[in-house]
Parts: sequence; C-alpha cells; structure tokens
Amino acid sequence: MSDSLSPANSEGPLRDDDEFVPGASEWPEDLSRRRFLQVMAASLALAGGACTRLPHGEILPYIRQPELLIPGKPLYFATAMDFGGVGHGLLVRSNEGRPTKIEGNPDHPTSLGRSSVHAQAALLTLYDPARSHAAMKLGHPETWEGLLGELLPEIEKWKESAGAGVHLLTQRIASPTLLAQVHQFLTKFPKAQWHFHDAAFPRSPMPAKVRLEQAQVVLSLDAELFGYGGANVPNALAFAKGRRREENAARLYAVEVTPTFTGTMADHRRALSPSALVKFAQDLVVTLHDGSKSSDNWSAALLRDLQKHKGQCVVVAGEFQPPSVHEAARQINEALGNIGKTIDYLPGDDSLPRSGLQELVTAMQRGEVGALLIFGGNPAYDSPVDLSFGEALAKVPFSMHLGLYPNETAQVCRWHLPESHFLETWSDVRASDGSESIAQPLIEPLYPSKSAHEFVAVLLEQVPTTGYDIIRGAWEARHKMDNFENFWRKSVHDGVAALPKTPGPNTPEAATASAEKAAAESKSLELVIRPDAHVLDGRFAENAWLQELPKPLTQLTWENAALIAPQTARANHLEHGDVVELRYRDHAIRTPVWVLPGQAEGCITVHLGYGRNYAGPVGSGLGSNAFTLQTSDAPWGGPGVEVHKIGGGHRFSTTQSERSMEDRDPVRLVTAGKPAVEIAREDLPETTETLYPKWKYAGPAWGMVIDLSACIGCSACTIACQAENNIPVVGREQVLRRREMHWIRVDRYFDGDNNAPRLLHQPVPCMHCENAPCELVCPVGATVHDHEGLNVMVYNRCVGTRYCSNNCPYKVRRFNFLKFNDDHSETLKLMRNPNVSVRMRGVMEKCTYCLQRISAARIDAEKEKRKIRDGEVIPACAQACPADAIVFGDILDPASRVAAMKESPRNYSLLGELNTKPRTTYLARMQNPNPEIG
Amino acid sequence: MPTTVQTCETLSERLSAVVLKRPTKLGWFTCLAISFTGVLMLNVAISWLLLRGVGVWGINEPVAWGFAIVNFVWWIGIGHAGTFISAILLLLHQHWRTSINRFTEAMTLFAVACAALFPLLHLGRPWVFYFLLPYPDTMRLWPQWRSPLVWDVFAVSTYFTVSLVYWYIGLVPDLATMRDRATRRWIKVLYGIGALGWRGSAKHWARYEMAYLLLAGLATPLVLSVHSVVSLDFAVAVLPGWHSTIFPPYFVAGAIFSGFAMVLTLLIPFRKIYKLEDVISERHLDLASKVMLATGLMVALGYASEHWMAWYSDEPNEEFLALNRMLGPYWPVWWTTMTCNILVPQLLWWRRIRTSPLPLFIISLLVNVGMWAERYMIVVVSLHRDFLPSSWGKFHGTVWDWATFGGTIGLFFTLMFLFVRLLPMIPIAELRKQTVEEGKEV
Repeated sequence: MSDSLSPANSEGPLRDDDEFVPGASEWPEDLSRRRFLQVMAASLALAGGACTRLPHGEILPYIRQPELLIPGKPLYFATAMDFGGVGHGLLVRSNEGRPTKIEGNPDHPTSLGRSSVHAQAALLTLYDPARSHAAMKLGHPETWEGLLGELLPEIEKWKESAGAGVHLLTQRIASPTLLAQVHQFLTKFPKAQWHFHDAAFPRSPMPAKVRLEQAQVVLSLDAELFGYGGANVPNALAFAKGRRREENAARLYAVEVTPTFTGTMADHRRALSPSALVKFAQDLVVTLHDGSKSSDNWSAALLRDLQKHKGQCVVVAGEFQPPSVHEAARQINEALGNIGKTIDYLPGDDSLPRSGLQELVTAMQRGEVGALLIFGGNPAYDSPVDLSFGEALAKVPFSMHLGLYPNETAQVCRWHLPESHFLETWSDVRASDGSESIAQPLIEPLYPSKSAHEFVAVLLEQVPTTGYDIIRGAWEARHKMDNFENFWRKSVHDGVAALPKTPGPNTPEAATASAEKAAAESKSLELVIRPDAHVLDGRFAENAWLQELPKPLTQLTWENAALIAPQTARANHLEHGDVVELRYRDHAIRTPVWVLPGQAEGCITVHLGYGRNYAGPVGSGLGSNAFTLQTSDAPWGGPGVEVHKIGGGHRFSTTQSERSMEDRDPVRLVTAGKPAVEIAREDLPETTETLYPKWKYAGPAWGMVIDLSACIGCSACTIACQAENNIPVVGREQVLRRREMHWIRVDRYFDGDNNAPRLLHQPVPCMHCENAPCELVCPVGATVHDHEGLNVMVYNRCVGTRYCSNNCPYKVRRFNFLKFNDDHSETLKLMRNPNVSVRMRGVMEKCTYCLQRISAARIDAEKEKRKIRDGEVIPACAQACPADAIVFGDILDPASRVAAMKESPRNYSLLGELNTKPRTTYLARMQNPNPEIG
Repeated sequence: MPTTVQTCETLSERLSAVVLKRPTKLGWFTCLAISFTGVLMLNVAISWLLLRGVGVWGINEPVAWGFAIVNFVWWIGIGHAGTFISAILLLLHQHWRTSINRFTEAMTLFAVACAALFPLLHLGRPWVFYFLLPYPDTMRLWPQWRSPLVWDVFAVSTYFTVSLVYWYIGLVPDLATMRDRATRRWIKVLYGIGALGWRGSAKHWARYEMAYLLLAGLATPLVLSVHSVVSLDFAVAVLPGWHSTIFPPYFVAGAIFSGFAMVLTLLIPFRKIYKLEDVISERHLDLASKVMLATGLMVALGYASEHWMAWYSDEPNEEFLALNRMLGPYWPVWWTTMTCNILVPQLLWWRRIRTSPLPLFIISLLVNVGMWAERYMIVVVSLHRDFLPSSWGKFHGTVWDWATFGGTIGLFFTLMFLFVRLLPMIPIAELRKQTVEEGKEV
C-alpha cells in the first residue's frame, strides 16, 4: 500500500518559499480508500479527544454608540467622596462602564489632583464581594417590598405621634443635601431626635483651618497635619513648598505622643505622654505671657523662634487633644498675631447635633426609643464600652441600619439595608473650604441598595425617590439661577460647583471651652487610644488593600498592637512581641506589645478598628478591640492603665523588621542652606566602568526623582500602584512569610538615639537600573531593557527562577509564590485595569513605571505626530502622591522637570556604589534645624 | 582480617554471588521499604508543590532561594567523588580505586539524579522549563546566555550523560559475567540484553579499554567544570557572600570533600554487611580519608580567604556579612559548618582513625551535615540580609521543604539498594584483570 499523502507525482521540486506548490490542491491519486478512512478516523479522534468547549456568549455591537465611548479608551468622570464629613473631589477612570481607578480632581481645593490611601482604596470597597447584597430582617434576607411592608405602617405611627420616640443616628455628613433632608425629617417629625456619633472623626474641640503655606515656623501639639484628616493634601503640598524654598525654609516642631507623619517630618520632635503634653502646652502659654525663662532649652529656643516669626508662625493642636491644649494653642496664636494669617478658627461643627451616643443610649435604656434609624457607622462595635450600646439597642422595637456591610450593628438591628457605594449613586459634598461638589455615579448599583438620600426620601414619603432627582431637585431649589441647566452640567463635569465660597469667621467655638486646671503630670502609665491610620475606627476593616498596607512607622499589617517606648518597656519588663493584658477601668484586652522608638515614655498607645467579629472574610478576627478600653468620659484614654504580661513570642505580620539603617544610610540628609549631602558614603565612590556597551536611546529615557523632603510617608503611592496595576493582596499568613506584593514600598528607619530617634522614610519602587543586575541573570530573557530604558518584565516568558530577585540589591521584585490573584469573584474581575496583565502563579513582577500609561501617551503623541510632552505620563504613584514628592519624565529632555531635579545638589542614587546607575534617584531630605537647639 | 588468595574464578564467583546466589534478606527488604517510604513522601511533596506552587516552601522575598538550591548544590557535590575516583584516579593509575569505582559511580549517578530534580522543581512554572533550552521556536527566542543558570543546564546535563555512559560502559563486561553465571533463563535474558552481546573477545576488550579511557578523559574536566559552573550561579551575582572570584575552586574542593564523605558513609556499612572487607580494605578507607583531609583543608582555606577578604577589602557590606554569619540570627549554621568541615576532619591526621570504620563513619556523617550547612550558609544566610536593611528577612524551611529533601535521600537510597541487589557493585572484570596483572591478592 502506498501510504504517501504528499503530492509525490506533482510536477516540479518542492520549494520552501512556495506555500502552494503546484499540484497541492489536487487529490493524490494513490490515496487509497482505506488510508483515507484511517486519516479521517484519526482526525475525528483527535478533534474529539481535545475536548474543547467553546464558551457560550453573545457579542453584540452597540446599536447606538454611547457618546464619547470608544471601546478600549478609558473615560474620566468627576465625582466626590464624603470622607469624615469632608468632601474630596475625585476623578474616576471608567473602562467600558466600570470604574477602575480613583484619582484626585485637580480642580478641587482639598484634593488638588491628588489623593489619599482611603480615596484609592474606595475602589476595592465598591467591588468587595463581602458587601451587603440584600436587605436583612433579623438576619434573614428580605425584599425591598418586604421592608416597605413593615416600614410604611411604622411611618404612619410616627406621623400620629409627631415622631416621638424616633431617633436618627448619623456620622459626620459632608452632603448639604443630606443635611437638608435630615432637617426636613426633623421638621416633619418635630419630636424626633438626631444624634451624632463618629469614632474616627469626633466633634473637634476647636475647629481650625491652618494655612501652612503662610507659616514659617510651625508647632504641632500632636496634630496630624498630614494624616487622614480633611486637609492632608493641601497641608502636604504647602509644607513641601515651604521646605523647598531656598531662602527661609519652613521649620516644623512636633510635640506628640505616638509618632505620626507630622513627627517624621519635623526638624525637632519631642515625645510626651498625654498629661505631659498638656502641661507642656500650658507652660508654654505661661512663659509666653510672663516672659519668664523656660525651664528647658528646647522650649526656650522654640519660644524664641515663634516670637521671631510673629504672624508667620502657627501652633496647631491635635484633634484628639483635650480642649485645654486647644485653648493654649489659641492663646499663643492670639498673642503672636497668627489668627487670620496662618490659622482661621471656624465656627464649629454647628451642622452636627449636640446630642451624642450617650443621650441616645440613655433614652434607649429608659425604653423611650420606639424606632432607631442608623445611617452608616457601626455603633454596636465602635462605641465606648461603658455605654453597652448593643444591650440598649435590644430594647428598641424597630431598629434599622443602612450600611455598606452587614457589620456588628446590622447583626443586632431588626433591619439592615444595603447602602449604595458613593460610586454607585448621586450625592453632593462640601469641602473643608466650603466649596461644593456634585458626586455622580460611575456605575449602576451592583446590588439592590439605596443611598442615604433615597432612604430618607422614602421616610419622608417624597417623590421623586431616585438619587439624581433628589440631588438635582435640591440644587435647583438651593441655587436659584436663570440658566440652571448649564450650571448643573458644568458643576457635574468639573466636579466643583462654581459657587462663591463662604469663608468662616475667626471666632473660635471654644471661646467657651473650659480651660481646665493646670494638669499634673501623671505618674502612672497612661493609655492612649487613637483611630488606626488605615482602618480608622474599623470602618475600613473589610478593605483588604488597607489591611495589607503597612502602617506608618510600625509597618504592621492586618493587626494592631500596644505601642510602647523602649524605656517604658524596660521599666515594665516587657519585650517586643510579648502578649499583655491591658487593664483600664475594669476592662481588659489582650494584645501584643510593639516596642516603638519615638513613642512617648510612660504611655501605651492602642489603635482602634481591630477585633471585629462581623467584618466579612477580610476583617473579622484580626487584632484586638481597643473600644473595649474606651469609656465615654475618656474616649482617647487616660492615666491608670495596668499591664500584665501573659505570654510572649507573638509573630507580627510586618513588612519591615529592621529599624536601623545599619550605617548604610539609604536615606540621606542635608541641612537647609547647606546643599552638600550630609550623610554620604564617601567610602564607596561610584564607579562607572562596565564591560558591556552602553545603552543608546533615540527617544525618551524615562526616569524618576523622589524628593525625600516632601515625602510624608503616607503610602498613598503604594495603594495607588496596587489599584493601577492589579496587584493582589496576599493575606496575613503570607505577609508573615514576607511575600507581600507591593511594587512600591515605603521604608522607614529610626536614626540615632533609640530613645529620641529621628524618623525617616523612603519610598522604594523599581530603580530601572541602566546596568540592571536582574537582566544579566535571567536565563530566559524574561526581564529585559527596553528602548526607552525601562527594565521590563515579560510575564509569559518568565519561568520563575527568582534569580533576578536575588540579584536585585533593592529587593523590589515581587514573586507570585502561590496563586495570589482572585479570579473567581465576579465583582473583582470588574475592578481590574484592562491594560495590565493579571499575573499567574510562578512569575516575577515589579514596578513598570506604569508602562501602560507610557504606551497610551506614546500612541497619542504618535497620532498627533509630536513628542510626548513633559508631564504627560504620570505613573500612578506620582499621581496619587499628596506631597508631589514623586516626579517622572524624560531625563534626556533638559527642559523636563525630572531632568531639572536630577541636577539638584541633593540628588543621589540609592546604592550608587554598585554601579547599577538607577533611573530612580532621590533628593536628600532637607532638614532645617534651629541652630539654638542643634 | 584473614586474606585469602583470590583467583579469577573465585572473584567472579564471590562477587557475582552477591547478586545471584545470596538470598534476599529481610534486612534488605526493610532498608528498601524505609527508603521507598521516602520516595513516596517525595511523590506527595512534589504533587503538592505542583498543585499549589513553590510557595509551599519557606522561600520569600529576600530569600528567594532556599532548600531547593541548597540541596541541588549538596547533591551535585556528592556526585563528584564518584567521577573523581573513577576517572581521575584511573588516569593517575591509582589501582586501589578499582574496588570502589563502580559503587561510587552509581552514587554519582543517583546523586546527580536527585540534584537534577531541584532546579526543575524550584521553578515558579516548572512546566515551561524548556525555555532554558536552546530549541528552534517560532518566536525565535533563545536562552539568555549571560545567565549562569543557562550554563548550569548544560553543565549538569552533560555531567549526567557522561556519568551514565561511563558507568554503563564499565558495567558491560560484568553484565556479561552475570549473564553467564545466572541460572534462571529470564535473568540470563535480562543481563544478556544489558551486556550488549559481549563475548570477551580480544577485539571487544581492546575497544572497551579504549572507550573507557576516552570516557575517563572526557569525565575528568567535568569534575572541575560542573561545580565551577554551579558556583558561578552565585559568583556572578552582586550579592555579598556570593560575589566572589574564589568560588569555582572552592566549590570544586568542597564537592570532592563532601563526595568522599558520602563514599565513606555508604561504603563502611556496605562492606560490613556484604562482608567485603578484604576487597574494600582498610587501605581504601585510609586513602579516601586522606583525600577528605586534603580537600577539607582546601575548603578551610576557602573559608579563611572569604573572611580575610571581607576584612581586607574594607567593604562594609562584606564585613557585615562575615560578622552576620558568625553572630547573626543564623549563627548556628556558621558554627556547624566550621566545626564539621574544619575541626572534625583534623582527626584524620591520625592513622588509627583513618583505618577505624566507626569513627570514620561518624566523621563522614558530620562532614555531610557540615557541607549541607555550608550551602545553607551561602544561599540563605547571604540572602537574608543584603544591602538595604528595610528588606531584610528570615527564612525557615517548611514541612514541605524537609519532605522534599528527605524524599530525595529516600530516592537516593532506594536506587542504591536496588543497585547493590541487581548489579555487581564491585567491578568483577577489573578486579580479575588486576589479580592477573599483580598476581596477588587485591
């Protein structure tokens, strides 16, 4: 049998370059029937054996293309977020109708185009699979109709009683429309009562607005100037500007209890326990007034510095400080003529009700509360322990909770109603400077949820009930004008309404604040309670990005700890990692001890937000609940805490175990006015020899400069990068094994004396080395140099030898040790950035300088036949940075901002002595110490 | 020990009887069963690894290489003694090698087989291991030749191939002897297939001798090259503790050192069990110990020069590394290394110890441990604290790390037990030749 299938008898020789050889299409004559059947059978068997199943689905084109929507091109929409009662203007990227990244709105006064960890992380909350999916009645799913069936008769009852026994409980509210709606409710039901409770944003003793850009000398009395409050972006930008001034650089003094961002940026920092801090502030006032000599040099020099800068200095008191400290700060500001120049005192939170949780609980215990409506928040968890909110709530016949998550409060309420995320609903917000924004939705609600506006409209039995109609109606009523449509459209588009701002008068609310008696310094151990920097009072405990984001100065993730100074730890025979029982006023928690240099002596700080029981699969059962130690008369702690060691050897899930720079000085310092780098490794000169030919670049050569003078260490870059680049979270267990995946990390170091250290931090992304050690050792060429000098990863080529990581002196490479990406949760699929590959298990990944953004800019530039403009490509980290510390651009373009910064005498390469020639360089941190203190 | 005069006949009889006539004892079954449990454990460990990913091991961000690389270097080092004994000593006319070369070659082969598992398994995506091979693919992609890992692929695969061929060529005349002496038909057939039609003609012998010599010549540079290339995996990197030009000779010496230790670890019990004390005599133990002593001193010189260079270079990272090894969190590793590899082998200066099986056995075990610790020190302790203190971390082997390591030991011994049961572990033909040439007892 001839078994040739080749056209053996075809004419002419076979040629490689000829696909269709002569005769190829002819049926070979010598193919037997038997052979034909054999081949067919084999083909069938192979086709069947492959067992492939094509996915079912329909691909439909748009019949009418939505305006502006081009598949593959993202759109940006302005919206706004209510964060602790303050509006933050945002710009949200939408890919084919899915919001995929949150940025700050450049036109908005509090975000100025920049953002914070919480703004960035809001995206994950939107898509969190653990959000409430349905209304719940006594823990069982119910329909909206079922809810109305019970609610409407209830409202009828309220009408009869004029709202007697009806209580509202809200957190801070940034929405003027919602405030108006609440007032409408209170008008309709005059006997109803409104209570305010916000564990992370309490009523301020003396609200003030600081103008850091005007201040030459700043004294912070435990103020979180750059922390999670409403003004961190303007403050950080203003401070960075003040720092960079060639002449008269600003100077910052910080007196604080637990190290904060303010303390890390300070030229002079002093750690004092809460009672000592009160005494310090009061002494300062006394010395200032009677001109007596201060007891110590430090205070004396500080006072002289303040007095030298009358009207150009400012004293700021922290939100969690008692009224006496605020009063002291106000008196100093008054005496130095700062009020109206560097600080404005605001009329106070008069938009909020005076009545708090205490009054509510009293009423509940007396059985006076017939109906309780809780808007957001989680009082069953985040209330002082002495109030026993949960027990009191049990006496309320009709309780209802509107919230994003089925949290502790939802569990104990009769009804829980899923709340819409701010990206799903219409709303409006007012910023700290009074400007108003309309918050527009980016996506239809993922679940059958209601916004607070919509829910109140139901309570008021109003029509319309859609968010859009409510907000638009309210705005139309509030802002009467001829061309409202234009105004509305422009306001929605810009993200800020073109309205005159209402500046606050300079009359402090706390003129009435009781100046407490001169406090005595406490001898006993003091307890300090503070909201956590990332999960705050637990409201973000469900957010895995925030849980895994290393906390400032401890670099702790997924848990909290009792922070204690080294000396205090020694005095109490405690070691880092010991598990202790903290006992305070008959309540106790168990928590591990973290020995933190820079913490004030004689006190222990515990952060709120942990020890939650109903925080979904992400946030439940982590750490210990500091609310157990919180009492309503001492919400931020007080003297008399007892510590009992009950165990040891706790393993902290931290991303950085070392404190010291080990004489390697990765962070370098300069003194203002003296441009030379102070801490330099002169013993290790930078070499330039290499055996390999130098790279040549025709087009742009991308580079980055990170200004350590500006960086406040807030980690917004880390989380922005996580959102932009589809970076997975790995969980506590994997962080314990040091397998976190962040592409840009913020290192922190304690420099100098362990008892009074200088606190430093340094963001570290990939350096994109010119002589990259990683490229040399990859056996498959999966990490290569590209034509613009980027060091790029080819994920599909990577076999996972991890040699590149071993050879990376900066250890910025991240490896998928396991399958870290969740590709099962449907909502998380919507969240991903479609322009960034989702990495599989077993491949290496790292910072790409946001290659996808470079590509997008390159395509635009090529279409317009021009070069990429300076500032056109902004990586996610640089875009988010509230302090404008990260600058990116073409280092070959002498006109670029990054090239100019690299010319600075402060510019240095990290580990430059290794001849890696990093593209990412640093500007040494500028210090401006008071020469009198030295 | 009483020495009997050996003739060709008695030698063939005695040595083939170990395989053909000696009844399979319960002890052998027990040992095989224990070793095979290790193989099963290895199977489980590898299955879990492939199912979940390399994250089941303890490796992490600063320490991205752990047990896999430690074990790889350790096993491949052990292999070196076999090649050294059979090839280099053959070329140097060291006739004493004859009694032990078959055994040590088998050891080489099995050790390299165990070693070769690790570079495959440690890949994040082992199913695309072939990206490291230069094969014509449609994307026209090629390995990245500057990476020592590519050199490794060639070094190790060449080494394994040459070792296998060399071992097998040496086996051919003995397989023929086995074929001739076997009584049962199917055994005859099996050995006959292996013997490739060997008839013992002069022509066969002449070609055999030539092929064997040529292969010995081919294998000799491999002894030096393989571990030199393996050492370059480290030496090419910028990492303090790896970035060192001394690595190639230092690794080769270490390999032979550990290989001889493993030879002694295996030979001492085997010669006892199979009553081969007259064939593998005290002289063999003595000579092997001397090689161990010499290479051990070279290794000591390597350690000393590393520490001296750390001080002399005045390079802070190197200085820190040296101190960190001695006093850092992994201090027991350094001290174990120094004790087992430098201090303990000094006992071999005494002839009494060199010829006493039990102390020698203990010393060889300690050297095996010491050499494993040395590789742990190089791989893990260098990685865990590199340049930036912020990224310092620690590494601890997980249960899967240990299971994989223990599993390869099980695999190694399983193969070893099967080898001694199924093949002549002493080269019969060569001993016969030697007996005739020397006309006296071995």
